[in-house]
Amino acid sequence: MNAALPWRFPSLLNARAIALLAAALLTLWYTGQRVEIGRMLALSGEAVLAQAGMADRSQVADGLGSTLAQLVPIQLSSRREVSRIEGFDPDRLPPFARVETIETRITELNPETLRREERMVRTAWLVEPFGYAFHVAAKMLETLEIALWGSVIAVLIGLPLALFGARNVTPHPALRAGSRAASAFLRAIPELIAALFLVIAFGFGPIAGVLALGLHSAGFLGKFYADDIEDADARPQQALAAMGGGRLTIWGNAILPQVLPQHIACTLYTFDRNVRMGSVIGLVGAGGIGQELKGRFDMYEYGHVGTILIAIFLVILTLDLVASRARQAWR
Amino acid sequence: MIDIGIADLRVRHAGAADALADVTLFIPAGQVCAVLGASGAGKSTLLRAIAGLVAPNAGRILYDGAPASRAQRRRIGLIPQDFALSGRASVARNVMAVADIGIARSLAGLYPPADRERAAHLLAGFGLDETQLTRRADSLSGGQQQRVAVARALLHRPAIIVADEPIASLDPATGEATLALLRDEARNLDATLLCSLHQPALARRFADRIIMLDAGRVIFDGTPAMLDGNRAVPRIRAVGR
Repeated sequence: MNAALPWRFPSLLNARAIALLAAALLTLWYTGQRVEIGRMLALSGEAVLAQAGMADRSQVADGLGSTLAQLVPIQLSSRREVSRIEGFDPDRLPPFARVETIETRITELNPETLRREERMVRTAWLVEPFGYAFHVAAKMLETLEIALWGSVIAVLIGLPLALFGARNVTPHPALRAGSRAASAFLRAIPELIAALFLVIAFGFGPIAGVLALGLHSAGFLGKFYADDIEDADARPQQALAAMGGGRLTIWGNAILPQVLPQHIACTLYTFDRNVRMGSVIGLVGAGGIGQELKGRFDMYEYGHVGTILIAIFLVILTLDLVASRARQAWR
Repeated sequence: MIDIGIADLRVRHAGAADALADVTLFIPAGQVCAVLGASGAGKSTLLRAIAGLVAPNAGRILYDGAPASRAQRRRIGLIPQDFALSGRASVARNVMAVADIGIARSLAGLYPPADRERAAHLLAGFGLDETQLTRRADSLSGGQQQRVAVARALLHRPAIIVADEPIASLDPATGEATLALLRDEARNLDATLLCSLHQPALARRFADRIIMLDAGRVIFDGTPAMLDGNRAVPRIRAVGR
């Protein structure tokens, strides 16, 4: 048989592959015990069975279901007491707004007669049918602005880091090591932690958010750009190098045209990620929709939270569509 | 004007036999040299070594008696076998890639008028037109790409033109015309032209000198006329037919 088939084709069934597979499975089994994968599966399965009517109760389904149920109906309108609005002019209401007057019967202690008296109190409320939706939209816009500027800062820092960090462009191997380390350092500090410190330094608001997002994603772009540059086809680079082209000439004419689609895809992903993370860093006071989300969540106003979550979802979905169009245009 | 001296050159690719062995050549400035040989004979390796793309395992390559300086490298025009164009970049960016301008001007496409004129002259000479300037290089046919690679190599008026099978993708008529243009440009520039070819008949007509390689060694080095008289060596006849 072997004489008829003298060539040995590589096969995955060899001792090394089997040993690697065994090691991987052992690691998964051991770590799975520690992070309670078994319990997770049991609880999730129970929840699914409960939904299907095949089990009585499920702790997970009940807990999740009761919270999720409170997210609807989502809150779109806003009501504010007119007496608390500074400089309120009933003749110049905001668009779609109306004033509602509500009579409430209240019981008071009359200080002169010392008897409880009932009387009617009229309070005027400014009702805006889409007031809260507009408020969320404005906060979302702020988050988008924070994400945009975070991404701009990320590109401005990430590109030089990549040029120093890519083997085929860097002026010196030591600079490459330094640049790669700087990228890793920036990546290693999560946005939320960076935002905590930056809020102390710059105060509450968008500046801390912009910087937290920008610095963290600069670390990402510095690495991704550099990896793309190193993976670029070497032949055009060699041709220009042979003709005495300098590093930047080679980068601009032989590398950048090749890697631009990847760079654009990475940058769009970074922006997408910054929008999502921008919604989170508001939790520590770094501006945007997250600050609103945190406030409403802490007040148990889950209808408002529902509006905010839908707004975030719609924005991410829209960004995804726009980004995929942009990537296709640059393919 | 740069003289090229090659002394005892040996190049070995990892895990293979010598690609070049004991190659010693002197190529005076301004000579038109054809390098002939069967596939795998070492033609590309020799040209790539001269262009500085392959580091020799032994021996030296000297430009005017010294290792190539950066300034001398800038006077090489290289036409690689696989063109090595930047496929996603426009024809204009590819041709202008070695224009001696800053990166900002280069990225913005603000090329000097003299370079524009030279590029237009070269591309028109190769039968390309203005509409092709904005096309992506990888959208061109193989033959068109080859001619863009030739124009790129000539743009900066090189003193040494290293052409690795520059007409391999062209039909015979276009190939001959391109080779003629390449030689005329070399003559105008007083440049040395080193050109590997698969067509001995063409080499005889165009070159001042023919260098023939077999298994990494020089087996013939002389004028076309000498090659014709050298029928005693069967190997040369086999390669040179």
